[in-house]
Amino acid sequence: MKIFWRILDVLVGGIFIYAGALKALDPVQFANMIDNYKTLPWFVGVRLAFYLPWLEIVCGLTVIFQFLYRGGLSILTALIAVFIGATVAAEMRGLDITCGCFGHASQHWSFPQHMVFDLAILIALVLLWSRPKLLHQRQAIHLHNDKKD
Amino acid sequence: MKFRAVREGLLLIALAALPAIGEGLYLRDKVSWQSSIPPSELVTVDQAKAWGDGTIWVDARSDEEFANDHVPGAFSLNEDHWNELLLQFLPNWSPDKKVVVYCSAESCNAARDVAKRLGDEARLKDIFILQGGWEEWVKKNRREVE
Repeated sequence: MKIFWRILDVLVGGIFIYAGALKALDPVQFANMIDNYKTLPWFVGVRLAFYLPWLEIVCGLTVIFQFLYRGGLSILTALIAVFIGATVAAEMRGLDITCGCFGHASQHWSFPQHMVFDLAILIALVLLWSRPKLLHQRQAIHLHNDKKD
Repeated sequence: MKFRAVREGLLLIALAALPAIGEGLYLRDKVSWQSSIPPSELVTVDQAKAWGDGTIWVDARSDEEFANDHVPGAFSLNEDHWNELLLQFLPNWSPDKKVVVYCSAESCNAARDVAKRLGDEARLKDIFILQGGWEEWVKKNRREVE
């Protein structure tokens, strides 16, 4: 079971590192993508475009290396929730946007594709959050069974 | 447990700022920090007026706003009726003229979008965006009248 959690850690962390690195390589393009959402003034969006990719990279690394793990998970969960919210809001406002989550790679994704991918990451993050609880429950069941025997 | 996550989160927020600031400093001259439009494509009201007859004013605001008031001699060209308005505009364009596009304020995207389409689709050159937009034009004009 342990290996499953490690794979999930590396997968989730890796996705955010990859997404962050693509955007960190071209922050101006990411700033234009943020601007397309028409929710933030340019001077805020362009600063976020420089900051958010690094936040994703740093938090992705914490999840992989399990250092400051809970802080990293909290931020990544908040980020994905914001991405989902912004994408839904843009769709409702009829904006033809590219989320920019994966730079050029995600440019031609449809709204449902974005949603499926983002929700899958959110579910993975929620699973990672619940890991200590699940492990604790498993240990409790084992202890209970041992006592019975 | 919850406070630990908050503490760690705050630490990570601060940590991520370091490379971001570094990258921002490295690219500081290549990025337009105040406006999505590069400074080379912006023009002030005074500069555009100084070009005199060499300026073609393009109003990227809505039909309603254009009907309400606009820069004298400006052509309405917004994305709501793009094809129709572009056909009306093009016969008035000539290569020796500079096109100055404006929308309601510098922060609005309409002027940027229209200018981009004029460049990409109509292949026009010398397209500028009015710094401060219509609001700035009104402000300057009012001052001059007073």
